[in-house]
Amino acid sequence: MRETRRALERQFERILGEHGAAISRLAYSYEAVNGIREELLQEIALAIWQALPHFRGECSERTFIFRIAHNRGLTHVGRRRAPQQSLDDLEEADEPVDPRPLPEEYLAQTNQRERLALAVQSLPVAHKQMIVLMLEGLSHAEIGEVLGITENNVAVRLTRARKTLKQAMGVTQ
Amino acid sequence: MTNDSTKQDRELDLWREQWSRVARPSPEFQRQVQQRIKVQDRRFWLGNLLALAAFVVMLTLAIYQLSHPASRIEKGRATGICLLLFVAVACRLWISRGTWRAETQSVRAFLELWHRRVQARIRGIQIGIYLATGWLAFCAALAAANWATIRPGLMAHPTVYLAMMLVLVLMLPAIWFGLMWFRRLKVAELNEVTRLLEEMGTE
Repeated sequence: MRETRRALERQFERILGEHGAAISRLAYSYEAVNGIREELLQEIALAIWQALPHFRGECSERTFIFRIAHNRGLTHVGRRRAPQQSLDDLEEADEPVDPRPLPEEYLAQTNQRERLALAVQSLPVAHKQMIVLMLEGLSHAEIGEVLGITENNVAVRLTRARKTLKQAMGVTQ
Repeated sequence: MTNDSTKQDRELDLWREQWSRVARPSPEFQRQVQQRIKVQDRRFWLGNLLALAAFVVMLTLAIYQLSHPASRIEKGRATGICLLLFVAVACRLWISRGTWRAETQSVRAFLELWHRRVQARIRGIQIGIYLATGWLAFCAALAAANWATIRPGLMAHPTVYLAMMLVLVLMLPAIWFGLMWFRRLKVAELNEVTRLLEEMGTE
């Protein structure tokens, strides 16, 4: 009993070490406010800990973790019941208010990374999930396993999601 | 075509590189999670211990009352307690079953399960509303049927009886409003889950 618990604790520590940053980015895509995001991140980690004894290797460890993380993120969105935040709201949540910028000028000045991050946060949930999994380097088959859709469907949806992301980033095509 | 795909690959590589620097867990993250696990474990064991202690005490009392000479009302009460304990233990096991396993399913399966659970909860609340109303109607009918027995007591202590009736009368709107408020919450949750499911389905 104790041995099993210790083995689980070691596995959990390794998972947090290996996937902690990815989970943190995923939490970032679901929550713009720092304090709440920290809370969400901890909840995802707890959910992984609670589900770990039931992991029988039916899918890869990465798929298992992303499933839990996205499902917890969805629960967070579903319970918050706030209207979809706009890109402007998200910028206000993390950045001090700058009286100068006009939207285009501001987007042009802000660096690429912030634009990408804010654009991902502003996406509708279905597109957000696609994009986050793609950015984390999951294959189409893995994305399909996480979301519960076919590989062909993943390809079609990814194309649409990328288009929406570009629009949100203000990239002309 | 090849140019397009090379451009897309380069764009994706750039995005991935930028995304990898978007957020990192704080250095305290692992320690905070371990702390929460400890607190949760302690709460879980404490809850189980308290439930077990309450179960043992109530069961002992019920058995004591059943095995000793007692009136039919006392024996009925003891049997009621035993049944209530059985239902409470069954409910505790039922509520804690497979909660964590749900989140290991694919996002679509999880959403569908969530949708079914919220629908079931709303049905449960609806039944609760009927049960609460029925229970109060039953109490009123019981009081009316036993009016001859109650009447002397009522005449002797009118204030106590009036206070009891007032509590009973106020309980109905309190329970009704409470359940309606909870139902509204669950309906809002159901709408949100339906919206998420539709978004997943149409995309």
